[in-house]
Amino acid sequence: MVATRALSAEARNPGRRESESAAALASRMPRLILEARRVSSLLAHGLHGRRRAGPGESFWQFRPFVTGEAAARIDWRRSARDDRLYVREREWEAAHNIWLWIDRSASMGFASDLATVPKIERALVLGLALADAFVEGGERVGLLGLTRATAARNIVERLAQALVADEAGLNQDLPPRAEPGRFDEAILVSDFLTPPERVAAAVREIAGRGSRGHLVVVVDPVEETFPFAGQAVLHDLESGLALDIGEAATWGAAYRERIAAHRAALSEIARGQGWTFTLHRTDRPASEAALRLMTLVAASGA
Amino acid sequence: MLGLTFAAPLALAALVGLPALWFLLRVTPPRPRRIAFPPLKLVADLMARRQTPARTPPWLLILRLAAAAALILAVSGPVWNPQGIGAGGGRSALLVLLDNGASAAHDWRARLAVAQDTIEGAARDGRPVAVLGSAEAAAAIEARTPAAALERLRALAPRPHFADRATLLPVLGAFLEKNPGAGLVWISDGVAGPEADAFTGALAKLAEAGGTVVTLLRADAPPALALTAAESGSKLTAKVLRAAPNGREAGTVRALDPRGLPLAEHDFAFPNGALAAEVPLEIPVELRNNISRLEVSGERSAGAVVLMDERGKRRRVGLVFGGTSDQAQPLLAPTYYLSRALQPFADVQEARGAKGTAESINQLLDNQVSVLVLADVGAMDERTTARVEKFVSEGGLLLRFAGPRLAAGNDPLVPVRLRRGGRNLGGTLSWDNPKTLAPFAPESPFAGLSAPADIGVRRQILAEPDGDLPARTWASLQDGTPIVTAETRGQGRVVLFHVTADTTWSNLPLSGLFIDMLRRVVALAGSAAPPTDGGPRPPAAILAPRLALDGFGALGSPPASAKAVAADYGDRATPEHPPGFYGPADGGIAVNALRPGDALAPLDLSKLTGARTGTLAGAETLDLRPALFTFALMLLALDTLAGLWLGGFLARGGLGRLRGRPAALVAVGLLLAPLLAPVPARAEEPAANRPNGIESALLTRLAYVITGDAAVDEASRAGLTGLTQMLASRTALEPGEPAGIDPAKDELAFYPLIYWPIAANRPQPGEQAIRRIDAFMRNGGTVLFDTRDGLTSRPGAAPTPEGAYLRKMLATLEVPELEPVPADHVLTKAFYLVDTFPGRYASGQTWVEALPPAGEGTERRPARAGDGVSPIIITGNDLAAAWAVGRRGEPLYPVVGGDQRQREMAFRGGVNIVMYTLTGNYKADQVHVPALLERLGQ
Repeated sequence: MVATRALSAEARNPGRRESESAAALASRMPRLILEARRVSSLLAHGLHGRRRAGPGESFWQFRPFVTGEAAARIDWRRSARDDRLYVREREWEAAHNIWLWIDRSASMGFASDLATVPKIERALVLGLALADAFVEGGERVGLLGLTRATAARNIVERLAQALVADEAGLNQDLPPRAEPGRFDEAILVSDFLTPPERVAAAVREIAGRGSRGHLVVVVDPVEETFPFAGQAVLHDLESGLALDIGEAATWGAAYRERIAAHRAALSEIARGQGWTFTLHRTDRPASEAALRLMTLVAASGA
Repeated sequence: MLGLTFAAPLALAALVGLPALWFLLRVTPPRPRRIAFPPLKLVADLMARRQTPARTPPWLLILRLAAAAALILAVSGPVWNPQGIGAGGGRSALLVLLDNGASAAHDWRARLAVAQDTIEGAARDGRPVAVLGSAEAAAAIEARTPAAALERLRALAPRPHFADRATLLPVLGAFLEKNPGAGLVWISDGVAGPEADAFTGALAKLAEAGGTVVTLLRADAPPALALTAAESGSKLTAKVLRAAPNGREAGTVRALDPRGLPLAEHDFAFPNGALAAEVPLEIPVELRNNISRLEVSGERSAGAVVLMDERGKRRRVGLVFGGTSDQAQPLLAPTYYLSRALQPFADVQEARGAKGTAESINQLLDNQVSVLVLADVGAMDERTTARVEKFVSEGGLLLRFAGPRLAAGNDPLVPVRLRRGGRNLGGTLSWDNPKTLAPFAPESPFAGLSAPADIGVRRQILAEPDGDLPARTWASLQDGTPIVTAETRGQGRVVLFHVTADTTWSNLPLSGLFIDMLRRVVALAGSAAPPTDGGPRPPAAILAPRLALDGFGALGSPPASAKAVAADYGDRATPEHPPGFYGPADGGIAVNALRPGDALAPLDLSKLTGARTGTLAGAETLDLRPALFTFALMLLALDTLAGLWLGGFLARGGLGRLRGRPAALVAVGLLLAPLLAPVPARAEEPAANRPNGIESALLTRLAYVITGDAAVDEASRAGLTGLTQMLASRTALEPGEPAGIDPAKDELAFYPLIYWPIAANRPQPGEQAIRRIDAFMRNGGTVLFDTRDGLTSRPGAAPTPEGAYLRKMLATLEVPELEPVPADHVLTKAFYLVDTFPGRYASGQTWVEALPPAGEGTERRPARAGDGVSPIIITGNDLAAAWAVGRRGEPLYPVVGGDQRQREMAFRGGVNIVMYTLTGNYKADQVHVPALLERLGQ
């Protein structure tokens, strides 16, 4: 018989353990993808590591002055050292932000015996690890509606602190209203246990300015398979709802139909906006979802 | 009549209701599980399609039905093999005769169980029952309700003496006459007792007359073992007895001392089929004298225990010392060496509270001593002399030691004629060296002992050289002068050591030879048994019971029915005289269940022809109720657990909960940690401060008591260090490093003077510390108590905390009368001439033991018997603080007082105190030297 447990509100905040697991997961992420992306000259925007001159802040190289250029571009300090004229070129940098949202509502604080970790823990680890990996790859990462996008080295700690400070987020099961930039990407990690219409509205809003996004649905295996039998009373974690379902085995069949429909609706929402849809079960390793998302982000940036 | 019967068969009808219960239980499902399920809000509209009634799982149903059935069965009271063995039929009375003599203890439980079954069977039949123990005193019996009989049965216990069943015959006869046709169940131990009895024959006749059916229940072979012991000469032989060969062929006999510690064990084995096995106990005589109890190991029965009394064992030796009996200092007592040398093999008695030699001798002779030791006793009055002479002629041994009084006196109780005075060997006024002993002559009782060469006799008394002197000489010096002489008088002997019993005349009492010589002398003493020849014997003393054996062979206080016995009682134990110890601990007698030479006989059943017989086994009635109730209860508990499990309450419990919380585990660990952590070892003290080291024994050291108050202890240590330095620089004494000691633990004998500062904030020393300090003071040590309150105490005012602390501590000590140090006390003259004993303060008073008042006409001599050193000195001046010096010799504490030389005077006082404790009253004599010289000059 499968047992389930629910976590308290405090346990749904990222702690040291989640931060460390996230860092460990991020460090296990293969660099190859990002490296590959970095060297690919096909990458137009958004990806870092241009290795070529362009608009940017940091020094890239001195090149000889070509006649016809604006005289203001000459770097006189360098040019004074010999007889030729030089132009200081800066590295091409483009702002490409990735916005994370991690659902921390009560329904996420749930784990069954079949899962290795609670959903919230998996979501936090996944989100923070992605943030770390992206920052490592040169992206800026921020929390949707909470922080600005930064590329700080200690991004995991920063995001974790921001999450802990955001107490209101413990009760929100949909992303906040925010409008990322056109070339930004949004990653929404949640169980999306809300009616599909509301999810669709939230996604539409975020994608309003054309930004791309990824829905990551974290589910407990129990929520997928409903392996219960015998007399049971279900009760909800958020609304305090309780439902006597009688014989659980028979009810389970109907439930599975319903939940499959829900998944289909979510998938449809994502497709409609050009987003991607990822279903991650907490009995699977976190790296699986992380890898997939890295690939998706890299692909969408291409 | 084997089989199953029910006490309340009607209750079985309830079993019919079980099918109804089946239906009821089927439709009562277990409580639904409660599952936390987040997706519920998505599917809340998804109602159960079909509300099929949940069924109770069949295994749970069976479990519950089984529990109900077990309960119903239990209530109906099933009994397996219900009746035991009934005796006779009908509703007539039943008499249960249960053997409970000394041989009954071995299988008592089995027979008690049989008796209980028999009575319970009678209860089911509704028969009145009477219970009779065969070893109980014969009293009229009557049949009562079985419940009362059970009460009576529970009160029965094995008695420590063998049953004399013949005394029961009148009671039995009366009962059978009153209840014709009554049944008689005799649950027997199968042992007839030490004397063959005619009980069975008489019982058969009674049964025949009364129409009684006798049922005899007994084990196949009486399993009991018994033990007797006989002492012949120096050999102690135990004998294990049994009534019939019973399969117990071997075992162990154990000898125990009075405290129950085993002294010896000896295996025994019955030679095939024999009824007795002899066990020679070969034990050294000292150990044998200590044996108080022999027992067959593992046989819990009074019959298998032999108690050994003092008769014919250790000689009782009475010690009398001729001088004043000043025993205040045990090490200096003149009989110290004697009693220590005699104690291993003899009971040493000294007269208690007697005044004078004659009274002591009379008291000891009243105590029936077999050896009378007179150490330096001079002439006695005529009555005493006559009594001692009678004691000797009746077989007593008189052992005398010489001494100044004997040398001066003239009395007939010596083996040889003595010269007045004695001779000195190796003294200051003699040319000779101390003489050692010549080898012992072969006819001497000491023959075979080897005399150590370092024995030196410095002084002895001499015998007149009579003709029979060589015959009476047991030992002599190298020059042939007798040192031990003896003479046979009547049946006894008089033995004289021509030296003292202490070390003033010779070092013989310090040698191991002394013990051997005394052992041989005492072994010559006859027993103290009264003479058997002619004349009316005086009535023996009556001895009250002191300890008695119970039926299982355990010693306890005697029962109220135990009566005193005469001191010459030698019979078996009886109901009035249960086995045990009678009389005082050092002179009582032991009464045993069997006499030496007794044997056990099996019960003679040939005359009991009409009786039914049975064994103890196979008659067990099994009441099934407890088992059924337990079974039902366990099923119900299982059902509860199953219900909880089905309801999902057991999924995560107990350790599972704890596993998720490392913090809880850590907390538990922290709680347990102090229990498991070893006690931290104390840091090793520096070698110089360690008490009891070899240094302390080799070197004179001052000592202070560690109070536990760090400041006080540091001051004590520094103070005694300062005094030690001062002593070394000014006197011939060079003490070692001062030692800090704990009087409760450390050996105090090494230290002549112990400085004890009083720290009122510390707890009082324990009882053990007080006792050790008491012994220290008694043995000649001096304790210097310093209350350190010279500044605050006022005469007549309430005592300071330190003063109160000291008073409380001394309340349990034996403290002599005290007085302020008088001006002529030797303490003021021991090294320096001082008037007061200032310390850090000068105002406090110093107290010492009060001197005996000076007699008129005599010179005032501050001296007393013994060492004459006051065992206690009390001051309030904080001496240690005045003496305390630092590492460079600088004083550590300022002195309080007007005198510039106060610190110097404090040191002088300290030097005087140390000198006083070390030299005693020697200086008291020296203070007279000027007067003596002056007198010589005239």
